[in-house]
Amino acid sequence: METWVVATGLVFLYILFTILLGVVANRRMTVDMEDFLLYGRRAGFVVLYLTVVATFHSAFAFLGSSGFFYTHGIGFWMAGTWTVLVGAITYVLGTRIWALGKAFGYMTPADMLADFYESEAVRVVVAIVSVVFTILYIQVQAQGLGYIINVASGDRISYEVGTLVLLAVAAFYLMAGGLRAVYWTDVLQGIWMYAAVWIGALVLSYELFGGPLELWRAVIAERPDLLTLPGPEGFFTPGMWLGMTITLSFGIVFQPHMMIRYYTAVDGRTLKLLGATTPIYLVTLYIPTALVGLGGALVMPDLAVPDRIFPELLFAYAPAWLTGLILAGATAAAMSTLDSILHANMTVLTRDVYQRYVAPDRTQAHYVAVGRAFVILLLGVGYALSVRTFDFLVVLVTLSGSGALQLMPAILGVCFPGRRTLTRAGVLAGIGAGLAALYVTLVLLPHPYGVHGSIWSLLVNAAVALNVSALTRPPSAETIARVHGELERFVYGEEAQPSEIRT
Amino acid sequence: MSPPGYRSHFIPRTREGRTATVAFLVLFALCMPPFTHTVLNRIDPTVLGVPFFWAALFVIYTLLIGVLVRALRSGV
Repeated sequence: METWVVATGLVFLYILFTILLGVVANRRMTVDMEDFLLYGRRAGFVVLYLTVVATFHSAFAFLGSSGFFYTHGIGFWMAGTWTVLVGAITYVLGTRIWALGKAFGYMTPADMLADFYESEAVRVVVAIVSVVFTILYIQVQAQGLGYIINVASGDRISYEVGTLVLLAVAAFYLMAGGLRAVYWTDVLQGIWMYAAVWIGALVLSYELFGGPLELWRAVIAERPDLLTLPGPEGFFTPGMWLGMTITLSFGIVFQPHMMIRYYTAVDGRTLKLLGATTPIYLVTLYIPTALVGLGGALVMPDLAVPDRIFPELLFAYAPAWLTGLILAGATAAAMSTLDSILHANMTVLTRDVYQRYVAPDRTQAHYVAVGRAFVILLLGVGYALSVRTFDFLVVLVTLSGSGALQLMPAILGVCFPGRRTLTRAGVLAGIGAGLAALYVTLVLLPHPYGVHGSIWSLLVNAAVALNVSALTRPPSAETIARVHGELERFVYGEEAQPSEIRT
Repeated sequence: MSPPGYRSHFIPRTREGRTATVAFLVLFALCMPPFTHTVLNRIDPTVLGVPFFWAALFVIYTLLIGVLVRALRSGV
């Protein structure tokens, strides 16, 4: 049987399995917003672990990272810095977000920020930032899916048709089972993608070089320029290293599809365990992609689209069944992120826009139905955006992360009590100035002085937020006492002592 | 009435918390510039056949995860 038949067949078998999971999840679902949008805040460790890692690692972990190793060399091993940092952020910040969500019923990032800063303008701005910048991320995943199905079928299924089919499948099981379906499919996807990338990389390294160590020796001998910084094309400068670390850790965690996961944990201890252990999965996934990218640079040195190095090597050197298995794993990587982003945007639009401003007093079933309608709308927008193609998926991810990064000062202001607090005016001015700076430093004058644009924009955002906050009215004493008092109790296990409160 | 200001949550209040924070920050600094672009930026000596840069970062990442696990066990 031809390779493309087996590969495409296995990808579609995998898709069928996710649809079945969506149907089963639908039967377990109750018509309730917390259940549909937040898994009833009952996610345990295993489910949460696999959904977080599967969501974090997207199409770019499979395709973009191998492409980056292929083009820019060993510098992409810096991925370990942002993935370890994600664990620490979950440990320290994620637990606080969970505690506030549980105490005050927050469902979205905008819920938390609007409540603390006592501002509907903050809610609207945060909702817009959340949706606009993650729609770019839908585009990234959809493009990854299009690439995969196009490659798997040997150009027999067009990029456009492949993208549409896989987007529709993700939308179907999301509409059927809500976040429960997303989590269940993420469990499957998280296991599948990890196994697939490791098996594929090991098989290829043995097939082509005699093993991983022999692969390293070959790269040292033939392409030493790939093994030092800043890489053959000078990409990994200190400024880029720092910028990508901040952007792809904080910037991704502050996207709604990651933050909402914190709200869904069954308890704080589960989130701490998650923070301490997710880096093991996240970091080690980049070991096999390095083998693929660096080995691929020796075997196929003139590939026009570096992101395709993994599937191209599979088609050339791996057995058909393995190629199909691994491409299905790549599909899992993209779909697990895509469904989460669709869900998060649906949640933001339903909760922060529709329920808040359009129809505040409807039944739970009504909001669930509206959420499903938003999924169809997002599917259309995502598809329309994804028809444009880009070579490097990771660059788009960086742009997406940079937008969500602008929420960082506001979120830290809520989650880390201190002597001073930010104000609504400070937060809004900071986000506005940060986004303007982002446009300048990513689009007009990309990465001034070799420092990633997101760092410049974050510095501008923080400086404006702090200075404007110093001159404007803070949230009411009651709100600060309520929210920060809750954190004081959650983190330190007791009521704040009078001596610990400064007025 | 001025709003209440709590003791900063950025500064750890317990010994275990301070130890974990300092250990994490020091190790994290080792996988950041300028350390990465100077001291670590070499192929030789290879470690078990793997370039020095790769092996050194692998060790640092492992230690960072170790700090998080240790913090969890000590209840920080």
